[in-house]
Amino acid sequence: MSTATAIENKSPASAGRFEPRIAAFVCNWCTYTGADLAGTSRVQMMPNVRMVRLPCTGRIDTAFIIKAFERGADGVIVSGCHPGDCHYSEGNYHARRRFAMFKELMNFMGIDERRVTFSWVSASEGRKWGDVVDETIERVRALGPFDDYKTLLEETP
Amino acid sequence: MRKAFITQENLSVLSGDLERAGRKVVVPRPSATGRMEYGAAQSGSLTHLGGALPARSLKATFLPPTEALLRWKNAKDDVVLEPSEPKALPTVVLGARPCDAAALAILDKVMDWDYHDDPWFARRKATTIVSLACDGVDSSCFCTSVGLSPDTTKGSDVLLTAVDGGYLVEALSEKGEALLEENKTRFTAARGEAQAAERRKAATDKVRKNLAVDARTVKDWLGGNFEHPFFKLGSRCHACGACAAVCPTCHCFDIVDEPEGLEGGTRRRNWDTCQTSKFTLHGSGHNPRNDQHARLRQRVMHKFHIYSERFGETLCTGCGRCARACPGGMDLLEALREIDKLRRSSRPSAAPIVTPTNPPISGGAR
Amino acid sequence: MNELRQLARKLLADKTVGVVIGYEEGQGAVTRPSFATSPEQAEKLVFDARCVQNLASYLSPRRSTVRSLGKPAVVVKACDAKALAGLIREAQVKREDVVVISVACGGVLADPRSGKALSEAMVADRCRDCDGAHTSLADHKVGQAKAPAFGSPKVDARLAELQAMTAPQRFAFFKSVFSECTRCNVCREVCPMCFCARCMADKSEPQWIESSPHLRGNFAWHMLRAMHLAGRCVGCNECERACPAGIPLSLITRKMQKVVSERFGYSPSDDPNVPAPTGAFRLDDAQEFIR
Repeated sequence: MSTATAIENKSPASAGRFEPRIAAFVCNWCTYTGADLAGTSRVQMMPNVRMVRLPCTGRIDTAFIIKAFERGADGVIVSGCHPGDCHYSEGNYHARRRFAMFKELMNFMGIDERRVTFSWVSASEGRKWGDVVDETIERVRALGPFDDYKTLLEETP
Repeated sequence: MRKAFITQENLSVLSGDLERAGRKVVVPRPSATGRMEYGAAQSGSLTHLGGALPARSLKATFLPPTEALLRWKNAKDDVVLEPSEPKALPTVVLGARPCDAAALAILDKVMDWDYHDDPWFARRKATTIVSLACDGVDSSCFCTSVGLSPDTTKGSDVLLTAVDGGYLVEALSEKGEALLEENKTRFTAARGEAQAAERRKAATDKVRKNLAVDARTVKDWLGGNFEHPFFKLGSRCHACGACAAVCPTCHCFDIVDEPEGLEGGTRRRNWDTCQTSKFTLHGSGHNPRNDQHARLRQRVMHKFHIYSERFGETLCTGCGRCARACPGGMDLLEALREIDKLRRSSRPSAAPIVTPTNPPISGGAR
Repeated sequence: MNELRQLARKLLADKTVGVVIGYEEGQGAVTRPSFATSPEQAEKLVFDARCVQNLASYLSPRRSTVRSLGKPAVVVKACDAKALAGLIREAQVKREDVVVISVACGGVLADPRSGKALSEAMVADRCRDCDGAHTSLADHKVGQAKAPAFGSPKVDARLAELQAMTAPQRFAFFKSVFSECTRCNVCREVCPMCFCARCMADKSEPQWIESSPHLRGNFAWHMLRAMHLAGRCVGCNECERACPAGIPLSLITRKMQKVVSERFGYSPSDDPNVPAPTGAFRLDDAQEFIR
């Protein structure tokens, strides 16, 4: 794929296709810095992500994910430091347990777990961040808008 | 007012007729969780309406657990308000329990007190209530203690009584007359009146045995004994408010603003209960009803003293749902029995009981 | 029964405790929580298969009316003891501040109001996988422990049915049962482990959980309740028993119990020193779902 085509594919205007809205909750020390690196390294990625920076994945309450869906997100990315790299030593270990439970709960409730990406992206993995973003967008694009959740309010008897 | 008869089969047909005529039909039917609850009839599946009381009362049909009051939009330098139209579909309730119908008439007073509650009255106006003389009396029923009975007509437009082969039908109001008139092909001449009277008397006698107290007489004792040690009731209460959730007359609500992003949002009103500490918690952190004893006292006071002082009615229909629903095993019948005992043993107070009455708020949105 | 009353009488007479929290005859055929504060009141105490309530709920710091009665002795079944252990583990109750009376329990009724005797069909579902042993927390043991012998929990069969459905089917299922929820918060108030002075669901700035009982608010509430109780819920099922809408909450709590057990090897424990799985971690916790 030439650079020009790659950029075109990553532009939101392409052919009236569905553009998912993705919320990303990332930790300050690894993924946010990694995303910064992706920017300064001019890694091409699609622009559908709105990012929220938090001190640590340990601070990422699963209520954030639910709130993102309530406010119209079609997909969510949650990302932070690799195990062992946490700025606060063990925040991401606690978060990992919480995310594991939440993932299973979502699945149980019938919410497609493919709408949420959990990843570890370090400060030096700008390229990986670009990949995580693009993969998530493509996956959620294929799933379509998260209408099931968006219509919950109107469906109340 | 006219009397008639309808077969079980024709009642089912009538339900279908009403739906075809554009009316919502509410009946006791199994809910999504498998309990008998009032809810929209499933077309063509109307079976016998009687039996035990539905788990929750009929109030949700008139005061929904959540309801949008208005939407707001944030404009450039302004906030634009759009009041919500109350959802008031033409509705017929088939098989309401008389205690639940009576509750609506009792609540009309507070709903038209210092403020005329439009959504409530829009739905009251749009709804015809066909009650069924209760044949599901159990040991928690005490409607006879609040001046009602299993066949009370208060709040109902039509009263059905199950008799052999169907139901004796009695119109009780103009709405009821109209319902019978509009659907007269489904009804035949009244019959089974003697049997109906017999069954209704049997049900009434059965309720009477549960509680030999006239709950309307405890009002004055309550008014004079606010600090009585009797009200140390709260230990086993979980403050959960299950009693209020199932109660036909508990009507408190909470008004919340739910923003939708930055553009605007919805103001809603949701059911609330005086049994939680948050209900009276002030912004300062002070809480005038600081423990569960005080909150339970409030529940008893509101039902049997405050409401009757203000509106001349007891805010209780004796349906007994609170006693059935309480996870801590609290029982209002027992409390009334105790209060009655205290009332009988106390000397009549010399001074008249003074209850502060709030003047109606003038200039309401009537 | 006499043994229990004797013990309670003694504890109250020699002022070891200010209140014995147990069970007494209620109205009709049911029993209910009892708060005996004098040796005479100890005569009211009973224990049998109708005693369904989890009395550990009354030890929560939110129960100011109970706390004002003095140091408590509490009658616990094997299941309730796990909730008490949870309160001790999470520093809500000091072990030395409560006297634990463990009663031998052969299972309790699903619905004591039914007036039926205890049987395979009538037993509360949670009793089906109980070993009936006296808790190691016991200061006093009353009665000979016996393992109830009933089939496997019915909730597991229902879970398997749900698991066999597609995700959209499950979503539709939860939508239908949550549509009955009026957010009365009964599930929270009766829960022994919901002891927060101010619940996340009551906060309005920011309002993480919409308090309105529309489906969106209800999904948020039930999912976050599940998250906050994951690894802490002891499966006493008071929430489901008390729910005025009859929502099958045990499906959710049981599911989370299984997740926690399979992933972190934790089952509800009556040992306060076993750390809760959400307060601990292993370096090698599975992370197959993390990219």
